[in-house]
Formats: sequence, C-alpha cells, structure tokens
Amino acid sequence: MRSTRLSVLLSYLLLGGMAMLFVVPLLMMFIGSLKPDQNILVEAGSLAAFLPSDVSLQNYADVFRRSDFPRYLFNSLFITGCIVICGLLVNSMAAYAFARLQWRGRDLLFNLVLALMVLPFEAIAIPLFYGASILGLRDSYTVQIVPFIANAFAVYLFYSFFISMPKELEEAARLDGASTLRIFFSIIMPNAKPVFASVAILTFLTWWGSYLWPMMVTIGPAVRPLPVAIASFFTLPPLYWGDILAFGVMMVSPVLLLFVTFQRWFVRGVASSAIKG
Amino acid sequence: MGYRFQAPIAFIVGIILIATLVGCGREADRSSDEVRLRIWAHAGQESERTVLQEQVARFNRNHPELEIQLTLIPEGSYNAQVQAAAVAGELPELLELDGPFLAAYAWQGHLRPLDELIDKGLIADLLPSITAQGSYADRLWAVGVYDSGLGLYADRSKLHQASLRIPSLQHPWSLDEFETALHQLAAHDPDGQILDLKLNYAGEWYTYALSPLLQSAGGDLIERTHYRSADGVLNGPESSAMLRNLQNWIANNRVDPNIDDAAFTSRRVPLAMGGHWNYQLYRASLGDDLLLLPLPDFGAGSKTGMGSWCWAITADSEKTVAAVTFLEFLFSTEEVLSMANANSAVPATRSAIEASPLYRPGGPLRLFVDQLEKGHGVPRPRTPAYPIITAEFQRIIDRIRSGSDIEAVLDGAVEAIDGEIADNHGYPWHAEGKH
Amino acid sequence: MTRDSRSNEQTATALLMAIPALAGLLLFILLPFATALLLAFTDLRLGSPLLVRFVGFDQFIHLINDPDFVRALFNNLLFAAVVVPLQTALALALALLLNRGLPGTVAFRTLFFMPVVFPMSLVSVIWSLIYAPGPDGMMNAFLEWGSFGLWEPRDFLRDPMLALPGIMLLSIWQGVGFQMVILLAGLQGIPQSLYEAAALDGAGSRQQLIHITLPQLRNPMIFVMLITTILAFRLFDQVQIMTRGGPDNATTTVIYETVQAAFARQQVALASAMTVVFFLFVLAVTWLQRRYTHHEREVS
Repeated sequence: MRSTRLSVLLSYLLLGGMAMLFVVPLLMMFIGSLKPDQNILVEAGSLAAFLPSDVSLQNYADVFRRSDFPRYLFNSLFITGCIVICGLLVNSMAAYAFARLQWRGRDLLFNLVLALMVLPFEAIAIPLFYGASILGLRDSYTVQIVPFIANAFAVYLFYSFFISMPKELEEAARLDGASTLRIFFSIIMPNAKPVFASVAILTFLTWWGSYLWPMMVTIGPAVRPLPVAIASFFTLPPLYWGDILAFGVMMVSPVLLLFVTFQRWFVRGVASSAIKG
Repeated sequence: MGYRFQAPIAFIVGIILIATLVGCGREADRSSDEVRLRIWAHAGQESERTVLQEQVARFNRNHPELEIQLTLIPEGSYNAQVQAAAVAGELPELLELDGPFLAAYAWQGHLRPLDELIDKGLIADLLPSITAQGSYADRLWAVGVYDSGLGLYADRSKLHQASLRIPSLQHPWSLDEFETALHQLAAHDPDGQILDLKLNYAGEWYTYALSPLLQSAGGDLIERTHYRSADGVLNGPESSAMLRNLQNWIANNRVDPNIDDAAFTSRRVPLAMGGHWNYQLYRASLGDDLLLLPLPDFGAGSKTGMGSWCWAITADSEKTVAAVTFLEFLFSTEEVLSMANANSAVPATRSAIEASPLYRPGGPLRLFVDQLEKGHGVPRPRTPAYPIITAEFQRIIDRIRSGSDIEAVLDGAVEAIDGEIADNHGYPWHAEGKH
Repeated sequence: MTRDSRSNEQTATALLMAIPALAGLLLFILLPFATALLLAFTDLRLGSPLLVRFVGFDQFIHLINDPDFVRALFNNLLFAAVVVPLQTALALALALLLNRGLPGTVAFRTLFFMPVVFPMSLVSVIWSLIYAPGPDGMMNAFLEWGSFGLWEPRDFLRDPMLALPGIMLLSIWQGVGFQMVILLAGLQGIPQSLYEAAALDGAGSRQQLIHITLPQLRNPMIFVMLITTILAFRLFDQVQIMTRGGPDNATTTVIYETVQAAFARQQVALASAMTVVFFLFVLAVTWLQRRYTHHEREVS
C-alpha cells in the first residue's frame, strides 16, 4: 500500500476526529465525577464539560455513603470470575472429549451442541426465570452463575482449537501409559493457552456487563452485581448526576485497567472468535 | 511450575468454587435462638430509608430475642419482585406494599388478614383513609404508618406578581382560573414554563398525581361499582377532555421538562404539583414564600390523591407474634411521628396528628389532613386489576406527552384493561384465600 | 491395552469429561427452551390462583394483534437495518485506517475498543446525560454548533422521532470496537502477495480495495454482520434504563416487551410466545448467514 504524505495526513485526521468523538463520553464521565452537580448540568453544553472545575472527591464519598459499592464490586467480580473459571474447565473438557476421544453418541451429541449455539440467552431467560422463581432460587450467587457455566460456543471454540493441535505429544504420552485426564491437564492445557485466554476474555466480556438476568433475579443489594446496581442507583431518589458519574467511574475502572494492561490478549481473543465463526 | 501440579490445582480450585457456590446458594438460617423476622420495604426518599433503618436498629436493641432483617428494594421493580417471590414462597414475614396494590396481593392469597391480630384500640385511632386503603373483601389486610398528601405548591411572590387569587380548599381555582393563572404566570416567566408536574418521576406517580385531575373533571379510571370495565369512564368525554387540557399545557410549553429535580427549588417555576415528601426541601428553598394550595376544581370538585405504603403480614408467615410486635412498635405515637417528621407524610393515627407540628390545626400541612377528612381524596381503584390499570394509565400519560391522539390512546388502554379483567374472570373471590 | 478396553476407558473418561457441560446445556438451555415452547401454548400467569389451561395458538394470535409487540418487531428490524450497515461500515473504515500501521495505531485501537468493556447499563446512564434536553445538553449543544445555530434543542429520549436513533448512536459507539478488531484481524490475514501481484498488474488502491480486500474479508464481514443483527434483536438494556419503551412505543423491542410481560405483568405464557417468535427470527438470520458464508474447509 502506497503512503503518500497526503494520505497519511488524511488518515490521521480521520482517526483523530473519530478518536475525539469516541472519547467524549469517557472524558465527560471522568471529569464530571469530580464536579459538583450544578456544574455538570450547566457546563454540559460547552467545552467546559471536559475541563475540571471545583474539583473534589465529594461525589465519590457520597456514593459510598448512599450505596454499598464495595459489595457490588465484589459481587460482579465473584460472579463473573466463577462463570469464567468453571466455564473454562467444564467446556474445555467437553470439547476435548468431542475432539479426541471415541465414544458412542459422540457425533450426535456434538451436533446437538452445535445446534444449541444458535440460541441466544434471551430465548431461555423467561422459562429459566419462572423455574428459578418456582424453586425459590432467586437472589443468590448460584442462580447468577450456574446456568451460564456450560456454553455451546465456548465448547465449539475449544473444539476447533483441539482438533487442529498436532497429535504427537498426546500419542507419546499415551504410549507412556498416561490416562486421558492426565494428558488433558498436563499436555493439552499448557499448549492451548491462546484458546483458554480467548475464551476467558470472551466469557468475561459477555457476563461482566450482564444486566437482564441479574435484574430479574436479584432482590436486595446482597448479591446484586454492578450493572444492576448502577441502574437502581440511577433511580434512587434524589437524582445526583455527580454521584452517578462517580459510580460509573469506579465501576468501569477495574475492567479498563485490566483491558489496557492485557489489551493484546483482549484483541486477540475477540478476533479469534470470528476466525472460528 | 511443573506440569504435575496443574491437574490437582485445577481440581482443587474447581472443588472450592463448587463448594462456595453450594454454600452461598444455601442462604441458610444460621441464627441460633433468635427469632429472625425478614422485612421488605421500598427504597424511598433518603430520609424515609434512614428512619426505617434506625427504627429497625432501635427495635432490635430493645428486643434482643428478635432480630429484624430489613431489605430495601427499588420502587421501580417492587411489585415485580413481590410477585416473583410469592411464587417461590419466598416472601418475607412482614411486607411493605403500595396501598393500591393491596387488592391484587390479597386476591392472590399472599396476605394474612389483620383483623384478629392488631389491637382494636390502634385500629380505632387510625385515619379512616388508612383503614379504607387496607381493606378488601371486608377484611383488613394492611395498615399504613402514614398517608400521603398531594397538592399544588406555589411561590407566593410570583402569584402576587401576577395578581392571582390564593385559592383555599373551600374555594379552589376553577378550570378557567387555573388556565388564566398559567397564562399570567407565563407572561412573567423567561421561558414560559411555569408548572412542574414531576414528569421525570414516571411510574406510579403518574397515576397517583394525575388521575385526580380526571376525577376532578368528572372522569375516572374505571367504574367503581363492580370494577368490571373502564369503558365509558376512562375513555369517556370528561376524562378525555381533561387529558386534552394536559396535553395542551405541555404542547404550549407551560410544563417544565424536568431534566433535574430542581425546577421549583431553584425558582425556575412558580407552581409545582407535589406531595408531602417535597415539603422539607421546598420549605428550605422558598422559606415563607412557600404556599400549599389545593388542586383546582375542574368541574366535579377539587380532588386529590391519597394512599401510600402500608404494612402487611404474609400468609405463610409463621412468626405473626413477632411481626405484630414490630407493627405495634411502628404504630406507637413516637415512632409514627419519627417517620412522619422525616418524610413529612400525614401521620396515620389521630394521636400523632395532634402532636405533629406540621399537621396539627394551624400547621403548615394541615391542608393534607383536611383533604383526607373532608373526602377530597379519591382512592386509587381498589381492585386486583389495579396493576394493569396503573400500567395502562402510565402509558397513556407517556403517549399524551408526546402528542398522540387522545381517543386512540384511551381506547387502547380500555381494551387492555377490560381484556385483563375478563382473562381473570373478574377476579372471583374465595374466602379461604389461596387456592 | 486391547482396542476394546481402550475404547471403554475412553468412553468412561469421555463421559466424565463431557457430562458437566452436557448436563449444563441440557438443564439450562435445552430444557428451558422446550419449556418456553410448551408454555407458549398455555395461559400461565405467575402467582395467579386460577388454573392453567391449554389454549392452543391464542397467545400467538394475541401477539399478532398486539400493536405494542408488532411495533417492537418493527423497531428491532429498523434498528438492525440501520445499525448493521452503519456500524459495519464504520468498523471497516477504522480497521482499514488502523491497518496502515501508522505510528500510534495501538493507542487508537485501544481507544476505539474501550467502549466495548463498558457494561451497556453504564453506557445507557452516561448517554442519558449526554442526551439531556435543553440548550445545555451536550448533544444539543454539539448539534447546534455543528449546524451553525440551526438546531433547536430537543428532548431526544422523549421525542418519538429521535429516541430510537439516539439509542442507535450509543449502541454503535459501544459496539463498533468489537467489529473493528475482528475486521482488523481479517485484514491482517490477507496475504500481502495478493496486493503485490495486483500492484504489478497496475491496480490502484481503490481497485485493490474492491477486488482484493473486500472479497477476502467476506467471511469476517458476514460474521460481524450476523453478530450485530442478532444483537439488534436482543436489544434491551438501553431501552429498560433510558426510555422504558417510550415515547409511545418508539423504542420498545421484542425483549423489552417480553420482560414487561413476564416480569412486570406476570404473563409468563405470553412472554414465552414472544420468546418463540424472537427465536424464529434469530434462526432465520443465522440460516441466511450460513447460506452466504463461503466455507474454506469442509466441517467433517
């Protein structure tokens, strides 16, 4: 591709312009969280929205006073963490069984799993909600974690990776008398780090921001995760924008930090999902 | 790390996680000999929440053998939460509920009648509106610690500037006077927006605050004899005329859009429809310029909203004694006043009203008591169909705000309401309650 | 080991390894879906003391005649029709720009992808502020500046014409990074040799774009379009938090109506019927994607 000076300049202009538009909500949120409420509303219509004024941490203090933020953060981390970790284990094992082992019913069940990939979560949310209600399982960690551990798409991603792995290492280990499980944990897992990272990140991104399900199944603040917390904080009278922006900053900062640090993995994880899809 | 360790570690991690999950899922009763009472309440105004939490703490201290566990639930999804928990048999022992939803819960069999459980003397001391609100099918199901007051707050200096008459409950503004007032006030106002209807509240506020306007004009939400049909009433000429007025006020830019909650307190707007909960902030902002006016008489008298949150004991509760003990604590004059002072609501007991600085004769909010005692308050329809009625009315307001055709909107709502009532076979009542 | 005993061991191990996932999928995906299918033919309500009855296709007939649901379907289709091309085009443009490998690419890529890690509920709350009505609202002020004063301040989320476009804009903001990254990976997978050969043949950069880049990107593009279309049908969070389906059904969506029916009105059977309709649409879209995707290799 030829790069003339003009086209480079044009590229930067376009990128820069888009970048400025993209950064607007982020900047407004961060800067606004440090301002008193009147300033936020009055300055929103001008460039002053992006400049600090009357800086203070009062909004952050208010968030801690008016809500149980640390608990919400813990809930989100715990729930998402459990889904990711249990999911990695459960889905990769199943994928290996499909990819490398011979057993009766394997092909039929695998096609079933593939077929289930087409069902988005919303298609089953209602009966799941009804079931959880009937069985009295609402408002717990369990109900927010267990239904989401097994995931057809994750199985498929693992499967695609496993069948493309060279068989020599496994066959050597088998000749040495290693059991299948041993092979899986000692050989497959260490050599499949990329797919584990990808699936971990995709799963994390999917469930960290999950709102619909926790909204329906949580009652009080005890096991409520962040996405639901900010929505109810938003409707908690009185409406203080400063507090809400501070809540937002605190809510997104851990993940942003994680993302900026591990962004190569994030990007790779997202991209690889498409290659297989 | 050698490969040897990875397998056992993975398994251990997995087992710990599963164990945690199972343990956490089983939010089991771990209390020893204390009787634990679970209570649900709505997450209302900050002062209300604080007082309730303090009351629970106080009660727990004074009654070491009981432990009250309070959960505050966002108002917006309160009804949905109750319904879902009811199915699972997971309702708490004591439940706060919004008055108008009482009939629905009682019909579904979730509540236990209070007639035999509560002291008769206490019941006699309650305002008639409280006992009326808490009754369905000739039983008392719930009692409220406070009732609500709805009126029109006004900025005296602006009314004076526009040379307007100050209305009273005996002589409220008529429709003409009200529209003239809007016109005059707008003339003196920079952006012409002079009425705060708290449109940002949405939810139950719409039905609470705006259906009295219909009733004042001679319309209503549903016929009140058998509660079978809204046809001819909700979409009748009086209701639609009143809603047309409302639509015009909004279209003519008389109504503040409510981006924030500060239209009246920042004195942008001289008239604000509001409730008892607004009093303290308004008083702090406007001082002596604050007036509390009755709603106008749009043809059939000045009507106002009434009803508020009340307490009920759930049908499956086995700790009725403890629940009643807590209720009687809440209804002691001292505690009624502590809540009423926090949210400025109308105290439910006559004794508390006499002792209340806001509500005793001559007090600044006496209007609210007068409205309730003199029958200006119209209860929201006491029927299990109420949830659908309020949902449809809220949609009506939403659509009218954006200028939709009133007849079509009302007819659609009536169809939905009547359909729901028919689907439920008119809510047949069986004395035993749950089926 | 004999072949038989090895295959027995394999079967036992395979079942052990596959059972957790299979059980999970069965219990939490297949079973609920089958239940939804069943419930859609009843009149079940949560918590009603009346008995449940089998009502055949009544719920579906109700849906066809329900103006709210029909409008919801229309909104979802409109949303998909606008957002999918716009977001994909934008993602492609950004990916092409980033693929040039100019200094600072990583910083730009990070910035464009950042909104993806924001939960949609947070995005909804922030953009509610951006869409504040009145001349002081950020979007109003921006449009006024951009139109040299011609723009009148509007209440976006309360305006029947502007509410859905408003939601489209923030959804694009949140989602374009995800697509961009996928397309960028796709671009980077195109062999340089193809471009070199084309350049030797005298093809200009525009022709290279049309005849090499786009065809090579066909699969990733179709993939991202599929994902975005399905997401368009799943639209919920923004509607629940910002507009509640209003004004006047301008922003209601299938999933919002479903949740309203099930959760707010306890009409579980009706919600199940909506779920079935929703699934049929998703199935149709997925089938279309499969048809038009070129498979490089056979799936054995």
